[in-house]
Amino acid sequence: MTAVSGRCLRRTACVILTALAAVACRGRVNPPSNDLLIVGYDREPDTLNRFSTHILEDIQSCIVEGLTTTDERMRVVPLLAAEVPTVENGGVRLHTDGRMDVTWKLRPGVKWHDGTPFTSADVKFTVDVINSPAYNPESTDGFDRITSVDTPDPLTAVVHYREIYAPYDIQFIRGALPKHILEGRDLDRAQDYNRSPLGTGPYRVVEWKAGEYILLERVPHYWRGDEVPKVRRLLFKFIANTNTRINQLKSGEVHVVALVPWDKYREIADVPSIVVTKTPGNAYEHVTLNEKQFPPFADARVRRALMLAVDRELYARTILDGLAPVAHGPIQPVSWAYTDRITKYPFDPARARALLDEAGWRPGADGIREREGRRLSFTLITQAGYAIRENIAQAIERQLRDIGVDVTVQLHDGTAISSIWFEGRFDAMLHWWQMPSDPELTTFFAADRVPPAGRNINYFRDDALTELLYASDRTVDRRERKALLERAQAIISEAAPEIPLYNVTRLDAVPATLANFKSNPTNVGIFWNVHEWEIK
Amino acid sequence: MIRLPAVVLGCLIAAAVAAPLVAPYAPDRIDLSSRRQGPSLSHWFGTDELGRDVLARVLHGARVSLAVGLLSAAIAAAIGVAIGGIAGYAGGAVDAVLMRATDGVLAVPRLPLLMIAAVVLQPSVPLLIVLIGLAGWMETARVVRAEFRTLGGRGFVEGARAAGAGHLRVLARHLLPNAAQAVAVSLTLAVARGILLESALSFFGVGVRPPQASWGNMLYESQATLASEPWLAVAPGIFILMTTISVNLAGERLASQPD
Amino acid sequence: MTHRCVHAIPLLFIISALVFLLIHAAPGGPLAIYLSNPNVRPQDIERLRHALGLDRPLWEQYWSWLAAFVRGDWGYSFSDGRPVASRIAERVPATLELVGVSLACAAALTVPAGVYAAVRRGGWFDRVTASASLAGMSLPGFWFGLVLQIVFAIHLGWLPSSGRATPGADDFADHLQHLVMPAAVLAVVLASGWSRYLRGSVIDVLGQPFVVAAAARGASRQRLVLRHALRNALGSLVAIVAVDAALLVSGAVVTESVFAWPGLGSLFTEALARRDYTVLMALLMLSASAVVLFNIAADVAHAAIDPRVAR
Repeated sequence: MTAVSGRCLRRTACVILTALAAVACRGRVNPPSNDLLIVGYDREPDTLNRFSTHILEDIQSCIVEGLTTTDERMRVVPLLAAEVPTVENGGVRLHTDGRMDVTWKLRPGVKWHDGTPFTSADVKFTVDVINSPAYNPESTDGFDRITSVDTPDPLTAVVHYREIYAPYDIQFIRGALPKHILEGRDLDRAQDYNRSPLGTGPYRVVEWKAGEYILLERVPHYWRGDEVPKVRRLLFKFIANTNTRINQLKSGEVHVVALVPWDKYREIADVPSIVVTKTPGNAYEHVTLNEKQFPPFADARVRRALMLAVDRELYARTILDGLAPVAHGPIQPVSWAYTDRITKYPFDPARARALLDEAGWRPGADGIREREGRRLSFTLITQAGYAIRENIAQAIERQLRDIGVDVTVQLHDGTAISSIWFEGRFDAMLHWWQMPSDPELTTFFAADRVPPAGRNINYFRDDALTELLYASDRTVDRRERKALLERAQAIISEAAPEIPLYNVTRLDAVPATLANFKSNPTNVGIFWNVHEWEIK
Repeated sequence: MIRLPAVVLGCLIAAAVAAPLVAPYAPDRIDLSSRRQGPSLSHWFGTDELGRDVLARVLHGARVSLAVGLLSAAIAAAIGVAIGGIAGYAGGAVDAVLMRATDGVLAVPRLPLLMIAAVVLQPSVPLLIVLIGLAGWMETARVVRAEFRTLGGRGFVEGARAAGAGHLRVLARHLLPNAAQAVAVSLTLAVARGILLESALSFFGVGVRPPQASWGNMLYESQATLASEPWLAVAPGIFILMTTISVNLAGERLASQPD
Repeated sequence: MTHRCVHAIPLLFIISALVFLLIHAAPGGPLAIYLSNPNVRPQDIERLRHALGLDRPLWEQYWSWLAAFVRGDWGYSFSDGRPVASRIAERVPATLELVGVSLACAAALTVPAGVYAAVRRGGWFDRVTASASLAGMSLPGFWFGLVLQIVFAIHLGWLPSSGRATPGADDFADHLQHLVMPAAVLAVVLASGWSRYLRGSVIDVLGQPFVVAAAARGASRQRLVLRHALRNALGSLVAIVAVDAALLVSGAVVTESVFAWPGLGSLFTEALARRDYTVLMALLMLSASAVVLFNIAADVAHAAIDPRVAR
């Protein structure tokens, strides 16, 4: 019996070892090539319909093209349109009664992947569908200001707006819906389109393996020419866990990862087969100060004191490893509306203390300031799961304690935090905005755009600023608009309704052998010029 | 026989209780100039992303993790003894209903359910203890019920009742003490389970949340830098392992002792 | 046995109601992810809320969900609008693969180790396996998984760090390579508990009168072990295996997360993050039902293996 068990054991061990040997004896990794490029993607899309999803559009942007797009310098460039309509070239007509007409001339010779020509009828169809109550797109912003669309010929679409809408040039950045297959259908249930949209772009969907990946393949006749795109297949592998994604990047199982977190940079900086591009983005992280929930924030001196007490340069140097520059306002240097002529707040805790003293907040027995019996003590919330943000929150907590302000850091998970800030149930929040390529600030700082009407989650009220912002929305002339926005930025920096922290620098990891990669600071994503990519 | 694990546990608990005195630095002392240092003489377990001393955080984290483990086990044991005891003693329909309920609760997977509850309630540490305790009474209930049934079959219950003892007296004087060993074993398993559940929940970011330190959420925080700074995961992992091994060992030794 | 089934049903209802309440009490709701997007307006959110039926009273939502569920209609996922049943169905093979292989490995480890340790009780093998299984039961599974990843995938490069297969190179060896680490993590934890239990069972059985009697009658020890002890011990082990198996089917949530394994466990964490109520409810009901079923199957198996067991 001992013999039997012994033999049994030995046999089991043999089996295990053989299996392990067989398993180990195989090279695994595909290097990046023009045949297959593997992208490590941070989540599985809910749908590939660009109008239904708002979460991310990287994959979609390879398939469905818009009339315009934004390039690596955030300039609006024509894509399916022949040119960007402007007042100067006659594409935009402003009427005296406040209406606006935009004439889009479409690029000739563009076909949907099934061979049907792309025409202005598709543009008109898109507007009609989005504005119809039957369909539930993510957002109808801008579309709801369109009264009608005329199509005098298959390559011309005239869009009639009921009021001046400054971001008209990116109105159709998401593309158009193909009329010939979607007319008359319930778009929310059109799973054939939502899982594999018909587009005009360089790629189309070959396979969507749920929970694992989406495989795209080049189309045989792309309108830019049959020789592009050079990369035959793109595989988007869903890897939600950041650590896993970066590990796979390092081991070569994935070749491309967009938006690498800054604390992962040093792990992959020295890998010879990977290049990490740094692109200043059009997003910024900040500490929102909710005046409505925490009345002491209504005093500008308190807000300025908090700004001065936080050593943002130190954080950028240490916690962010020097990868992201300090931000001083909501508009970032990549934007054409950016100005440097604003109030800056270098680290100065002495001045911060003086300001708080002046505002009547005196240190109490335990070092925490108080006034009229109320302690200067608030909660700072942020989203859990982002190591850098959690660290910054804790560093802020320490530095504010040094000037006598008591902060309690609370972490909430992503879904919960959205509803918290939307309902304004927080004192201060460590947050970020990915700004649209158009420098509209109204929804963030206008007095009447507090939730649910907008995103003014500081509940900040300045009537002069509000007027300026609305005026800039209605100004199409870029120079005039810039002047207005510069004044707005100056007012915002002076009043300090929030504490801007740093300008998000995009880190994108691509193979060293990939040529013509150009990252993109907007949420158009890094695949905006995928047709130019080539592995050399 | 259970001396070694008991000693280890005792040391851990003592270190946890005395953490504010024993720890070389304050656990939340941020020092951005000495970030991510490996183990050294000034920092025995190194420093983390914010320059905080890892040993100090492990010691303070012990307070939370051990508290969660021990107290949740106590709650689980209390509930389990109550339910299992009543079922085993009363027998019949009461027994059937209670045991079906126990089976039913056991049918729902524990960790996913706790995750949902944690996400909903965003629990503070005390509430977390209660939740983990509520998820752990079933095994104890079964064990106690089984013990009471076998004990009940040995006739001395009838004897005691015939002698005029009330129900409570029988339970407290005769049944419970005899089931004590089984309960103790069950308790140790519950402690180990509680510690592992807390670390799993914190690993998903829904247990004890930073900046409060617990072993579980130190592991959660260490994930981001596991390849470049592995010592951040080693220290809390080792402590969890030491604790659970000691507890499990103590339980095994207890179980193997003759009745 | 039908007894058990009948009792299980009201229990499942109660569980479903409690879980429904719990999930819906979660702050945020499925629309919260859209709130952080500056381009999504409140009217849009309201429209979505209505379309998803979230503005109806809670009990009404529960009732319609339950009625549909029982009919086999598991509703549509809140996050991508696809039928819940297909979202679950497409993840099942991955979980079954992982669970199946882990169970097989655990069994392969458990049976020889447990039996040998019992038979050579007190010997070096017994002591070594005792320590090993103690360590295995005490390990936080996710930590073990992370360590394996660092060692075998990153530093040594022998195995892929995560996922189920290398797209495009999808053969048997590739599958095995991806399975090794996650299955190892699960198998170690399972086998640790099982082998101790089996060892204890075998020792118990070997000490029982009928075995001693058989030995006295001259039966070889090999025959004793294989015929009697093993059958008895395995019978009761099956009950534990069944429960563990059922729980695994609900998705080894932690392991699947660490290794990005595309099964039911990672579906659960995604659905939780997105407050996808319909998917969450279906998953929980599924796993609860699985446990009940597996328990019943375990009883049957136990009786089959060991006919002496009278129920």
